[in-house]
Amino acid sequence: MRAALGGAGSVAAAALAAFVGVAVAAALGLVGADSQAFVAEPYAPPTAGLWLGADALGRDLGARVLQGAQVSLVVGVCGSLLTLAIGGLLGALAGLRGGLVDRALVALTDAVAAIPPLLTLLGGALILGPGVRAVILVIGLSQWTGVFRSVRAEARRLRAADFVRAAEAMGAGWIHQLRAHLLPHLAPLLLTSAVLYFVHAIKVEALLAFFGQSAQELPSWGGLLAECGSELARGIWWPLVGASVPLAAVVLAAQVVADRLSDGR
Amino acid sequence: MVRTAFVGRLISAVVTIALVVLLVFGIVDALADPAALALGQDAAPEELARLRAAWGLDRPWGARLAEVFAGLVRMDLGVSRIRGAPVSALIAGAFLPTLAYALPGLLLEGIAAIAGGLAMARRRGGAVDRLLSGLATALMSMSSLIVVIAAHQLLAHRLALFPLVGWPLVGSDADVAGLVLLPLLLWAALLLGPDLRHYRALFVRELDEPYLDGLRSRGVPERAVLRHALRGASAGILARVAGRLPHLIVGSVVIEQVFNIPGIGGLAIAALRTGDLALVEGLAVVLAVITVAGQLGLDVLAAAIDPRLRRGGRR
Repeated sequence: MRAALGGAGSVAAAALAAFVGVAVAAALGLVGADSQAFVAEPYAPPTAGLWLGADALGRDLGARVLQGAQVSLVVGVCGSLLTLAIGGLLGALAGLRGGLVDRALVALTDAVAAIPPLLTLLGGALILGPGVRAVILVIGLSQWTGVFRSVRAEARRLRAADFVRAAEAMGAGWIHQLRAHLLPHLAPLLLTSAVLYFVHAIKVEALLAFFGQSAQELPSWGGLLAECGSELARGIWWPLVGASVPLAAVVLAAQVVADRLSDGR
Repeated sequence: MVRTAFVGRLISAVVTIALVVLLVFGIVDALADPAALALGQDAAPEELARLRAAWGLDRPWGARLAEVFAGLVRMDLGVSRIRGAPVSALIAGAFLPTLAYALPGLLLEGIAAIAGGLAMARRRGGAVDRLLSGLATALMSMSSLIVVIAAHQLLAHRLALFPLVGWPLVGSDADVAGLVLLPLLLWAALLLGPDLRHYRALFVRELDEPYLDGLRSRGVPERAVLRHALRGASAGILARVAGRLPHLIVGSVVIEQVFNIPGIGGLAIAALRTGDLALVEGLAVVLAVITVAGQLGLDVLAAAIDPRLRRGGRR
């Protein structure tokens, strides 16, 4: 794994590990536990004790940024897994079964892909209401078409392979084909896609949080960015930096890891 | 032969649009109740029933769906009950502000990405390649939120190099060209990262094609060789543009929110805020129809440029 990642990839993987560590620690209450307490003047500048200053209500911004890692991690991991699960299962079903099932699923995919993803996201958020669970669900339901297409293509290619036809002749069903033949072939592709959709899910969560549709009880990086308003014009730079640097760093690290994984393939 | 292929594409486009309508109106109407969304969670049951009856929501699902299809044929998308205006008029009014920055932005970005991708593919591993690859990765890892908010606050607020809004306010006669400049540049920057990579990969494949060496061996100058490569890659380029269409029409909601542009993205956000389900559904269907039609048009264009595609072949 390390050989495949290379120098920059290893640094990026370490950064991702640190991000997961912070998120878990924040969930356990080890860091940033006092994110709801009013500890300073509104927009107090950073000091030694208050390393990222305070937000508009005088809450510790550093603690809120650390807490925000939780939402990003949960949405990133669950959103990416749900996307892969929906797209992967439907793609394998279409590619391995072929025929009418394949045609129906391809038509469905074309229709879903024709609707701008943003509207699916906003419409889903409107129907399901705000919250982390709704965000994960709309990410999964709107992003799966790309996975569907690549898994279906691979499944069609494999369907013609001798070992798959031999298994079929012995009466193997499509679930068996999926598990025994398709999954091992798809593993590298799925791993890279998982990291890419993780990046994507984190960005989408930030976007939905910016419009007030994400977690209501926990701070989220997108929500913190929405709170910045136009404070930078008044010389208050810490809310913008505090919310954007971790978001950019996590996304960059995951992007580098995904690039290294796909180069090594 | 050519004509049958086109008719096949046309039929599948119509099927896709019908499925979109079925998905958007059929399933969404079955899952969500516009009356409940409009009244909020604490609505009294009798109040809800009264509103449902007044809006005709108590009729059978099939009857309402048939009404939607009948309306679509007349280009009627229903009425936004929240705004009390026809959905089609609301959407039509929002196109200009979005396209004013999104279309020139996309053109600028497309030219930059194609030129950049070609330059990267010509000298693989060279300084230009490494520089632009780094730029692409950096742009891709910036959430659109960060790029837009930081640029708005730094360039427009703090340094006052650009206006604060991206569309004339009501009653103002400001020059549109000056206002859309920063949104246009930001929109191009948001799209550039993934496209640079895509076109690099495309040209790496195209420049390795043996027919280019054949041309060179006959003494064709390098500029002409590159022109051939560009034409050879045209199908890939047009396919990429087709894939970008849904993004083009929506624009960036973040740009429209931050720069106060009353475009399609802004309309979608307003619909989300006010619980205007009819408007969201109308937007989804209209944009899907434009996307499918645009992709069909680009397919025809690709076949016109690349004769190999006309024989039903695929690259």
